[in-house]
Amino acid sequence: MLHFKYLLWLAVGVLLPQLVGSATLMSLLTQSLIYALFALGVGILLRQCGLVSFGHAAFFGISGYSVALLMRDLELGAASAIVLTLVALAIVAFLLGLVVSRIPGIAFGMLTLAIGQTVYLSALKSRETLGGADGLNINWPSSIFGLDVRLFYDPASMFVISWVVMLVTIYLLDRLFRSRFGSITSAIRDNEERARFIGLHVMLPKAVVYALSAVVSGLAGVLSAIYTGFISPETLHWSVSGTALIMTILGGVRYLWGPILGAIFYFFVKEYVGELTDYWMAMLGAVVIFIVVFAPNGVSGLLMQLQERRQKRKQDVIVRRMEVRS
Amino acid sequence: MIQVPFFSVRDLVVDYGGVRAIDGVHLEINKGEIRGLIGPNGAGKSTFIDAVTGRRIPTAGQVQLGGEDITQLAVVARRMRGVSRSFQRTSIFHDMNVLEQVFLASHQAQAKDPERDAVAILEELDLLQYADWRAGDLGYGQQRRLDLALALVGSPSVLLLDEPMAGLTVTESRDLAQHLKRLARERNVTVLLVEHDMEVVFGISDRVTVLELGKPLAEGTPDEIRANPKVREAYLGSAA
Repeated sequence: MLHFKYLLWLAVGVLLPQLVGSATLMSLLTQSLIYALFALGVGILLRQCGLVSFGHAAFFGISGYSVALLMRDLELGAASAIVLTLVALAIVAFLLGLVVSRIPGIAFGMLTLAIGQTVYLSALKSRETLGGADGLNINWPSSIFGLDVRLFYDPASMFVISWVVMLVTIYLLDRLFRSRFGSITSAIRDNEERARFIGLHVMLPKAVVYALSAVVSGLAGVLSAIYTGFISPETLHWSVSGTALIMTILGGVRYLWGPILGAIFYFFVKEYVGELTDYWMAMLGAVVIFIVVFAPNGVSGLLMQLQERRQKRKQDVIVRRMEVRS
Repeated sequence: MIQVPFFSVRDLVVDYGGVRAIDGVHLEINKGEIRGLIGPNGAGKSTFIDAVTGRRIPTAGQVQLGGEDITQLAVVARRMRGVSRSFQRTSIFHDMNVLEQVFLASHQAQAKDPERDAVAILEELDLLQYADWRAGDLGYGQQRRLDLALALVGSPSVLLLDEPMAGLTVTESRDLAQHLKRLARERNVTVLLVEHDMEVVFGISDRVTVLELGKPLAEGTPDEIRANPKVREAYLGSAA
C-alpha cells in the first residue's frame, strides 16, 4: 500500500510537466521543489529534535562550492564529487551535531546562526579560491550520473529529477522515522531528561538527525548548483536559512511533506503576490503569524485536520443510516 | 561471613553552593526490601534521590549496587545496571502513545521480550485499555501510573520513587500503593519510596528512614518509627 502511494506520486511528478503549459510556471515549480528539499532538511531537525536552525544555508551553499572545487581543483568526475561532498557533509555535520545539539532552545538557534554567518563571511572574503562576492561558475561535464547535463538545465526535466530525488528522500526518511530510531528521537525531543532515565543516550541520535538534515539540505544545494550552474555567497546568507525556516513553519512539520507544501506556497506567494505589490513579504509575514497562532501544525496539519473531519462526518452518516435501518 | 547489603549509600554529601542539602547520609537496603524515606519539606529527600540516580553529582560519599561502586556512573549506565526512578513531577513522553513509550523503555532496559513486558506492566497498572492513547491525553492519575510504568519495565533491581502519590485522590493513592507493593514483591525489586502520605509509607514499607535537614534522624520498622518520640516531635505529629 505504502509503495503504491509512492508510485502514484511518482506518476504525478512525471505527468505534471506535460500538463503545465507555461515555461515560467514550470521554472517556478522546479525552483520551489529544490527549495522544498532544503526546507525538508530544516524541517526534519525541527520535527525529530525540536531544534530550530538559522544556519542550514551553510550546508545548502557549501555543497555547491564543494562539488565545484572538487571538479575544478581535483578534477574529479561530477558523480564522484557529489557523492564525496555528501559523505563529507554527513561526517562533518555529525561531529558538529555532537557539540551543538547539546545546547537547548534559542541558544542553539543563535549558535547555528553564528556558524552559518562565519561560513558566509569566509566565502565572501575568499576571492582567489571561491571568487568572493562574484561566486563561481560551475563547469559541469556533458553527463551527470549517466544523464545528459541538458536535462538538468531544462526546467521540465529538472522538475522530474528533483521530484524523484524528493520522493526517494521522503520514502527513506519515512522508513527511518517509523523505525525504533524514530521512537527514540521522538522521545528525546519530547522529554530529554526522561529519555536519559529510561536508558537512552540522547546526544548520538540528535547528532544523527542533525547530520541527516544537513545531507538533505546539501542535496538540495547540489541540485540548485546543477540547475543554475553557479554558486555564490548569497546562498550561504542567514536569510536563506530564514526562508527555509519560514517554508517549514508554513507547511508544518508533523508530516514529512509539510515543508514541501510550505516551499511551494512560499514561491507562489512570492511570484504572484509579488507581481501585485512590493509588500508581498509583509503579507507573507501576516500569513506566518496566522499559521503560528491558529494552525501550529502548518498548512499540512490544517489539510489533514479537514480530511479527518470529513472522514468522521462520513462515518457518522453511515452509523446514522445503520441505526435507521435497525 | 559479612553480608553485603544489596544497595547502599555511604556518607553521602550534597552541597548547593554554600548550602549543605545532604549531610553524611548512610543507608543500606536489602534485596527486595521496600524502604520508606520520609522527612519534612526541605529535608533533602528529592536531592538524595537525584544524587543516587546520577541527576546530581554528590560532593562526597559513595553509592554501591550489589557491591559495585556506581557513584561516578552516568545516568544511562546506572539505568543499564538496574537503577530506575520516577519523578516528583510527572515525567512521561506526552506526544507518544502509551504502549510505544513503555515498549521503548522496556527495550532500552534490555527486557527479554520487551513487548510482552510492556503489555504486562500496562495490564498490572490498569493502563492497557489506553495503550494506543497519546500520553498527553491521559488523566493525571493515569499519567502518574504511566510514569511508574516507565520506571518499572525491564525489571529494575532498584526503584527510587519520588512522591509517586503526589496529586492523587485518596482512592487513587491507595490503589497505586497496592499495585506498587505487589509489583515490587513479584519482581523482587528493591524500592526506596519518598512519600508524604504516611498511611501509604507505613502501609507498604518494610523499614522507614527519617531525614531532617539533610541528616538521618531515625531508622526502623514502621511501628518503631511511629513510636519514636524524636520523629513524632520533628515531623509526624498528629499524622502518626
